[in-house]
Amino acid sequence: MSLGILLALVAIGFFTGGFGAIAGVGGGVIITPLLLLYFGLPLQQAIGVTLVSVIATSTATSSLFVERHVTDIRLGMTLEIATTMGAMIAALLAPHVDRRTLAILFTSFLLFTAGSLVKKAWELRRQKSHEAPGEYTVRNYPVGLGASLIAGGMSGLLGIGGGPIKVPVMYLFMKVPLRVASATSNFMIGVTAATSAIIYWGRGDVNVPVATPLVAGVFAGSLLGARLAPKVRPAYVLGLLVVLLGWLGVQMFYRIMTGGVH
Amino acid sequence: MNPTPQTPPTPPTPPIPPPHRTDPAADRVVALTLKIGAYTAFLLIVSGLVLQPFVPGAGKIAAAGLLVLLATPVVRIMVAGAQFVHERDWKYALVSLVVLGIMVLAYALGIKV
Repeated sequence: MSLGILLALVAIGFFTGGFGAIAGVGGGVIITPLLLLYFGLPLQQAIGVTLVSVIATSTATSSLFVERHVTDIRLGMTLEIATTMGAMIAALLAPHVDRRTLAILFTSFLLFTAGSLVKKAWELRRQKSHEAPGEYTVRNYPVGLGASLIAGGMSGLLGIGGGPIKVPVMYLFMKVPLRVASATSNFMIGVTAATSAIIYWGRGDVNVPVATPLVAGVFAGSLLGARLAPKVRPAYVLGLLVVLLGWLGVQMFYRIMTGGVH
Repeated sequence: MNPTPQTPPTPPTPPIPPPHRTDPAADRVVALTLKIGAYTAFLLIVSGLVLQPFVPGAGKIAAAGLLVLLATPVVRIMVAGAQFVHERDWKYALVSLVVLGIMVLAYALGIKV
């Protein structure tokens, strides 16, 4: 691999890790299409590499959230029963699913993520972000476990963390404060993505020469981003991510239509 | 007579009430586990990548970093589970065991398939 490609992968990891930590998104939804469209990786390998980088983001940033006592470890581990189950089943099924169908599912989720970021940017305008999470009682475990099973399945099938599904469900149905929901979702992603990644690794779909520079960049970016996050207004970062996701969505759609996904 | 100076007893600083459901001890061990895993993986990967052009086989160091990264969530579950056992919180000790069991099953199936 040339030095140029290696540095490009480090840079991609750095920016997705950094912006992801500031905006509170994992970045999996950005990395897969970049690897597929611009680095010529087959879909299964793009997903395998993304899974590893998603574990890196989660591990690097969730240690900080746990330290600040924002993460509900007990809730997270309970829901992990469902996310790991979904991830395992979906990761085993993934190679038997038609690539085009996977790509269409992925692109739909990418556009859904873009939509949820627009909503988040809109809500952040009038939210005081640093209120301590108050008292709460977790409700509706069955709904949360169901959503976690689906989010885990999407991790195993598409390589993404599934935050845009888990966070609203924890917030709206389980009555968990938004910051706690976001930190807990991030916490769960490491275990979920690792369950999928173990299976992709066993199949040889984690391309090590591509994954290592990317993960190095993700670590550096997300550690820096998590430290900058309290000082940066996320609205601009969210706007940038929405534009990027829109562009990637269009590119993916074009690639699917021209039959270039394999 | 030398009157002993009356130092007013310093009032104990009121502890900040912890938010509901948090467990400072568990938070500490889990955060430490994640940190050790993250920094070990990062160091191995970076040193592997930097040495790669000069030392044959340095790519294996970077790959070992990826394996540390993959193993960190598993270790995190074990550490949290041990902490729950220590606190005699059997319900969540069992939850940890179930999650660990699913990951081991995924590993076993992932090797086979």
